[in-house]
Amino acid sequence: MDAPVASKPLRVALVGVPNCGKTALFNRLTGSRQKVANYPGVTVERREGERATADGRGLRVLDLPGTYGLTPTTLDEAITRDVLLGRLADTPVPDVVVCVVDAVHLPIGLRLALEVKRLGLPMILALNRMDMARRRGVSIDMERLAAELGTPVVPTVAVKRGGADQLVALLERAGPAPNRTVSAPAWHETTAEDAEQMQSDLRGLLAVAGYGPPRENPWFGRLDAVLLHPVSGLLLLALVLFVIFQAVFSWAAAPMDWIDASMASAGEWVLTHMPEGPLSSLLAHGVIAGAGAVLVFLPQIIILFFFILVLEDSGYLPRAAYLLDRLMGWVGLSGRAFIPLLSSHACAIPGIMATRTIPNWRDRLRVIMIAPLMTCSARLPVYSLLIAALIPRQDVGPFNLQGLVMFGLYAAGIVSALLVAYVMKHIAGSRQYSPLMLELPDFQWPHAGNLLLGLWERVKIFLSRVGGIILALMIVLWFLASYPEPPPEFTGPAIQYSYAGRLGALLQHVFAPLGFNWQISIALVPGLAAREVAVGALGTVYALSAASDDDVASKLEPLIAAEWSLATGCALLAWYVFAPQCLSTLAVVKRETNSWKYPLIMAGYLFALAYIAAFITFRVVNTWS
Amino acid sequence: MLQQLLVGLIVIAAAGFAVWKLMPARRRLQLLMGLDAWSAHRPALAGWRQRSLKPRIARAAGSGCDGCAARDPRPPHLR
Repeated sequence: MDAPVASKPLRVALVGVPNCGKTALFNRLTGSRQKVANYPGVTVERREGERATADGRGLRVLDLPGTYGLTPTTLDEAITRDVLLGRLADTPVPDVVVCVVDAVHLPIGLRLALEVKRLGLPMILALNRMDMARRRGVSIDMERLAAELGTPVVPTVAVKRGGADQLVALLERAGPAPNRTVSAPAWHETTAEDAEQMQSDLRGLLAVAGYGPPRENPWFGRLDAVLLHPVSGLLLLALVLFVIFQAVFSWAAAPMDWIDASMASAGEWVLTHMPEGPLSSLLAHGVIAGAGAVLVFLPQIIILFFFILVLEDSGYLPRAAYLLDRLMGWVGLSGRAFIPLLSSHACAIPGIMATRTIPNWRDRLRVIMIAPLMTCSARLPVYSLLIAALIPRQDVGPFNLQGLVMFGLYAAGIVSALLVAYVMKHIAGSRQYSPLMLELPDFQWPHAGNLLLGLWERVKIFLSRVGGIILALMIVLWFLASYPEPPPEFTGPAIQYSYAGRLGALLQHVFAPLGFNWQISIALVPGLAAREVAVGALGTVYALSAASDDDVASKLEPLIAAEWSLATGCALLAWYVFAPQCLSTLAVVKRETNSWKYPLIMAGYLFALAYIAAFITFRVVNTWS
Repeated sequence: MLQQLLVGLIVIAAAGFAVWKLMPARRRLQLLMGLDAWSAHRPALAGWRQRSLKPRIARAAGSGCDGCAARDPRPPHLR
């Protein structure tokens, strides 16, 4: 090895099959908080993190997408191969490869390890989930395995503190990064002979290591028999989703009321204690009435994500994917579409990126085009506000009516996506079905640390949006809604004379057939930047439209209930089921498809659907009510 | 008058921030790279460049959305 270079960190790449715990290990090694979940396909791009070492040299750790082999079938798998082969311009060949293998299911991971070892790069085998392996009666003779494989083998438990200490010690002892340019390893696609040889080597290694299949928990089998049953499984899935939306409304009411009251008090305090002028108006009408109106929905976001994280960590979600696979195939979607579509319920952007796991371009494009129809968390504040304002807080049998409507809106998003996919299937003339090949993870109790960390990340994201882009847009909107000031002879509310008021009056011509008033028309514009901004915009617009400062302190919800007809509210809900995408989503679609054509088609068809749905809803509800 | 001046500054800052956050990632990265090249010739800015600008450049390749788990989705470039 060449002379040590103290300042050069050792480049460590983590590779392994999907859902073996690479990202959990990456987080343990680097102190990062990347998303982990108990299903495959969470990581679709490389991620880098650093760790300081005692000698000051440091480790640069690279987390790579999971793959079953080095002959890729999807974009994310190609990233892993290209990094190991040094084909990426800004990522040199790693100094050490840590091959992460799930010790419970050793044969699957070990096969990849054999393939990686053939590249000739220095390698360490990390046997992850060793605690679970021991509990399930799996014994592995690590010394003999290491000797036979010719690489160091260490046990890890990535989800536990100290669970990667042996691996860290080994990496620290590995010495400095070589002071040379590591040449790209030689590689060729696996041939049938190679595969046979590897299979033979694998059998030998497993025999030497004394590996036996894990003891199956009989309860898991019984549970799967119910959860994966085509009838009881689907009923339970519907029940699970139903309970989630009931809880979102029932449990969040008290903390939401408290935040709402605090915002109203803060607005009152500003108006009574600060001298009258533009600054107090900006704070009360722009910042508090605008950004505060969005902040109110934090408890609902926390409850929704609590349930999603529990489902993710327990291993239930891939089972839901399996259940829905047939339905997905019927509408022309690949079975692999489930995880991207599920991710889109948090935000369409990671969902669209997760389509990289879909090998067929047409299948992938179809999923990209429908991903925005899934109800992202930014729609939650809009739905919640309108439901709370227009739907009475009453029970229908054992169910909360508001929760039922929320469930219906989420279902409307899913059904619309499936219908659009079905239409696209017939337009594209593609009848080919790519079946879902998914390794069902073991059931496990959700890890409390993971849950808390996941919730904390969601809270941080929401608060940074409220305190960042939403606050900034509310301030700009306050300015547009406050200036120019009307002349003394102007008799209407000052906002109608402002830039925003004039824009609202213009837009109202477009949106009047949907029953939208000028306040809604104004709110739709900043809603293009981020959907929940529409709620804040309504808060600001109504605060500035108020006849007196007393009205400012009152909540947005009763104002809407008093001023809007049921038909208008329902039409706005229908609008937001389809509403044209936020700009960030369109930008990501452009990048992922490498063309402006697809984001333009997406924006166009979503706008058309939103307009038609809102128009029909307004007319129908208006006639009936 | 002071209130109006203060409010004017706040509105300009908010508008600038909103434009920055909603700008396409490529344009934002270009601007940061330009700023980096400009500040490279000014020793007085060396500390700020290392502390603040360099990490910002590393993060700027995002999509303008802070609300998702994929804030640094740089597509890899083949060599």
